[in-house]
Amino acid sequence: MAVAEEITEAGAADAPRRGNVWRRRLLTHLAIFLAIVTLWETGVRAGWLDELFFPRPTDILVSFWRIYISQGNVWYHLYISLGLVLAGFVGGSLLGVGLGAIVGFNPLMRRFLQPYVIVLEATPRIAVAPLLIAILGFGAQSKISIIVLVCFFAPFINTLSGVVNVSPEKLELFRSLGVSKLQTLRKLVLPDAVPVIMAGERLAMTAALTGVLVAEFIQRDVGIGSLILTYTRNLNMASAFACIFTLTIIGFAIFKGMEIADKRIAFWNHEEGRERLSARRRRAFEAKGRA
Amino acid sequence: MTNTAKDKADAAEVVVSGKGVGKTFAGGSVVALEGANFDIERGKFISLVGPSGCGKSTLLRLVAGLIDRSSGELKVHGTSVKGPRQDISMMFQKATLLEWRTAIENVLLPTEVHRKPTRDDRTRALELLGMVGLKDFAFSYPAQLSGGMQQRVALARLLQTGADILLLDEPFGALDEFTREHLNVELMRIQADVGATTLFVTHNISEAIFLADEVFVMTSRPGRIAKVVDVNLPRPRTLKMQVEAEFNHLVEEVREALGAF
Repeated sequence: MAVAEEITEAGAADAPRRGNVWRRRLLTHLAIFLAIVTLWETGVRAGWLDELFFPRPTDILVSFWRIYISQGNVWYHLYISLGLVLAGFVGGSLLGVGLGAIVGFNPLMRRFLQPYVIVLEATPRIAVAPLLIAILGFGAQSKISIIVLVCFFAPFINTLSGVVNVSPEKLELFRSLGVSKLQTLRKLVLPDAVPVIMAGERLAMTAALTGVLVAEFIQRDVGIGSLILTYTRNLNMASAFACIFTLTIIGFAIFKGMEIADKRIAFWNHEEGRERLSARRRRAFEAKGRA
Repeated sequence: MTNTAKDKADAAEVVVSGKGVGKTFAGGSVVALEGANFDIERGKFISLVGPSGCGKSTLLRLVAGLIDRSSGELKVHGTSVKGPRQDISMMFQKATLLEWRTAIENVLLPTEVHRKPTRDDRTRALELLGMVGLKDFAFSYPAQLSGGMQQRVALARLLQTGADILLLDEPFGALDEFTREHLNVELMRIQADVGATTLFVTHNISEAIFLADEVFVMTSRPGRIAKVVDVNLPRPRTLKMQVEAEFNHLVEEVREALGAF
């Protein structure tokens, strides 16, 4: 009895203590962040840092206000850039996954295409970007094709390896059940490759963000990349930094978003995903009273 | 149906027969199986026992139609085996469940690859999961199940095919001793229930005898059936029989045929 009471007391005391730890951690992070910002600010004011290249944090804050609210010009550029990212990512992914599945599932194709894949993988894709502009001209189509190019590879390689590395035991099971090739692809090979494909998509999404910047640096007209270029050339570093930090936030959001997408799509690889879907199936069964 | 009644009813009907069945690999240089002659009657439980390389898995895969024989004649239900067929179903050492499907969806797979599952199919799948003791886990994903439970799902999936010939390739070989014994007893009960002709590959002599009506004792280099040992132990069998004299005589007989003394 005495022991039980002790345990309950300890348990009850545990919750606020955990809250304290969390709060203390947050405060530590905040303190370090403020220290860095203050150091930067004083560094510029004291003249240790060249203000031409390292604007004061307060100036960057003012630039944030200007480009987002008082002038509000960044929205249009973001809209253009993110549109390109989306188009390029979707295009590159579809192309990569589609070709990866076809090549992976077809041993003959794999044998003859393998050397080209290796050569292409060794070539920095960005090197082809000026060529693409020469072929397609200036404008959205050449920018999108640059993004497609940098996005394509990770999903392609991952789909290929996912399709090739499907377990031989499972393939034998499908063969013993007399399943057709197409059905085997649909019901076994592709779903089995989904976690690996998702890992490829995460790389592709990061590549897409880099890709759009490169595309906009090469042909400066609109977009967040062009905006950074313009601000830097005009020595408006505070606004350039505001744009860069904007991209930090977008990059982080993309990373998190892909993580969430992975947990939803390849749910069986995550404990909470399995539990969530398993419980949902059970509830649906109980509601219907039959399977 | 008791075993004796089953014997009387279908005594004469041979469902699987082999005459001089052989299989060579690597262009004839490796002889996996040579001159296998056998007749398997309906509803019988056959164990194939022997050391690695004796061709027991090869024989199973030949019957399943997963590989082609190099010589001889192999018939199932009177027709020559030319490839996988729907009256035969196979279970492997690994559970080979699809991780993205719940237990019941895995059980339904054999139906689903040929036609859209009906409400009856789903009811049957639930029944089978109940039969293997997983009624409460029908909506669990494989990763939420233990190794033994995964093999039970695979067993339910095997039965869902409705095949009357079941091939099991060391199905519980990767499990611990206690789980394996337990599952063997259940397998016998289920096999007697559905009355399916069963071929069971193992390298465990006691297990082979305990389960079977007949034990095919196989030896290696070249792989061949050295002897067929009849097991006349009464059914239903209990684990206790394994320590009785009659059982030990059978173990002796199998060991002698294997040259394993």
